[in-house]
Amino acid sequence: MSDRLSFYVERSSLLHRLNPLTKLTLAFTLIFLAFFGPGYWLPAGLYLFVLIPLSFLGGVGKDFVRTSLRLLLPLFLFLFVMQSLFYPGGKTVIFSLWIFSVKSEGMAFAFLTASRILVMVSSFLLLFLCTHPSALMNDLARRGAPAALSYIITSTLQILPQMQAKASAIQDAQSSRGLNTGGNLIQRTRSLLPLVGPLVFGSLVDIEERAIAIEARGFMLPEKKTSLIDIPDTRPEAIFRWGMLLLILLTTGYRLWPS
Amino acid sequence: MAIIEMRNLTYHYPLAETPALHGIDLEVQQGEFLAVVGANGSGKSSLCYALSGFVPHFFKGKLEGQLNIAGIDTHQSGLMDFVRRVGLVFQNPFNQISGSKFSVYEEIAFGLENLAVPPTEMRARIDAMLDLTGIRDLADRSPYALSGGQQQRLALASILVMQPQVLILDEPTSQLDPIGSREVFQVIKDLSRQGMTIVMAEHKIEWVAEFADRMLVLSQGEIIGNGKPSEILSLPQLPEHGVGISRYTTVARLAQKEGLWPSDQALPVTLTEAVAGFQEALG
Repeated sequence: MSDRLSFYVERSSLLHRLNPLTKLTLAFTLIFLAFFGPGYWLPAGLYLFVLIPLSFLGGVGKDFVRTSLRLLLPLFLFLFVMQSLFYPGGKTVIFSLWIFSVKSEGMAFAFLTASRILVMVSSFLLLFLCTHPSALMNDLARRGAPAALSYIITSTLQILPQMQAKASAIQDAQSSRGLNTGGNLIQRTRSLLPLVGPLVFGSLVDIEERAIAIEARGFMLPEKKTSLIDIPDTRPEAIFRWGMLLLILLTTGYRLWPS
Repeated sequence: MAIIEMRNLTYHYPLAETPALHGIDLEVQQGEFLAVVGANGSGKSSLCYALSGFVPHFFKGKLEGQLNIAGIDTHQSGLMDFVRRVGLVFQNPFNQISGSKFSVYEEIAFGLENLAVPPTEMRARIDAMLDLTGIRDLADRSPYALSGGQQQRLALASILVMQPQVLILDEPTSQLDPIGSREVFQVIKDLSRQGMTIVMAEHKIEWVAEFADRMLVLSQGEIIGNGKPSEILSLPQLPEHGVGISRYTTVARLAQKEGLWPSDQALPVTLTEAVAGFQEALG
């Protein structure tokens, strides 16, 4: 079973030491700017001149660039092909092949959309590369986010790999008893039932036991919870967060009353 | 004064026709180590859940009779009153992991965070627990990357760190090998000597005979035996109720048929008793 259940890479950089909420605010601000900010080149600029330098500052540059491109390249390829050929209202033909013609308006639209998606995904990627999920959740809970909400988020991160392991164990058990999981589409679909049944019912039993376990450890106690990990927060960071919020408001204003 | 007092306790799970517990009368003194044995479905787990408040506060259903534990009455208290006083460790260690923590160390902290223990005290208590349960070297691992036995120790540590007055254990050593089981039994025995009250449902009769102060035998939700392990385990009717007797008792019983074990002497339960008995009988 894998020890690594999140994107988190341990380093001792400035970015890692920042308060989780500061990083979360930064991620949201960058995404907001990429979608609503001024200028055609802004999203691409944010990725190249803000996110990439930040990732190297955090000591996770290689992971960051590699993972963000690997996640998004197939999508971008698809986006460029579709938009450059079929973008409605495209007039400026760059070149034609048989009945297909590549138009520059479509290319431009595809580039803008792609760079926006890139900022959206990579901002969160950077956040999770240099923020431990339990630090983020503890900090949000400390600031008054409901404990049940942060429990759901962190436990989902952990339970998904467990469910996968369980599904493959059931599959092994069923095929060792002669269930044929290969073959054509109909055969495969039919063999799905003996896999899904035990997985779902087994998980329901697990959920009841887990509920007992976390109740037994006082999850529903009325006290205000304390936190094992001390999460530092500084005055400059708080000011920085208010600054980010102001930037979002200014962008909103620019969108609503452009003049 | 007894820390656990049950008077004529009867419990039906929701929609169940037959009671899971029927007319249970039980007293346990503070610091006592009580073992509960019985076949599957005899009511061991239901008794554990009743003592820790999950019956009826979590499972609902119908609970009749009296139960007082660590100063609270189950009819007048909520589950969270139990949580502060009574610890529960159950069988499947995998499902006792909170799922929201990424290391063993943080996992043990989960209960303390809920109890609002300050961080410095938290660390001291967790460190003590890591040593007590022998999982110090696993502190930084993911709770899910542990073996069943290691997870079982973690489940025990996670509850013990909350310092309950009464500890309820439902087959806490099912995933442990004999050496690991012995270590865990030893830890629990020491805790009971220090004044913690222990109630443990367990299949491993030989261990129970060696460590527990008293033994309770359940069959179909009723008590059919209650006394010192040596008295209980030499009861001839035990196998009818699905309770395995220890291999030492089996050997001595066979020896008795062959005339190698004096018929006036009680049958042995542990290895030491068996060795002593045979040495005496065979000269």
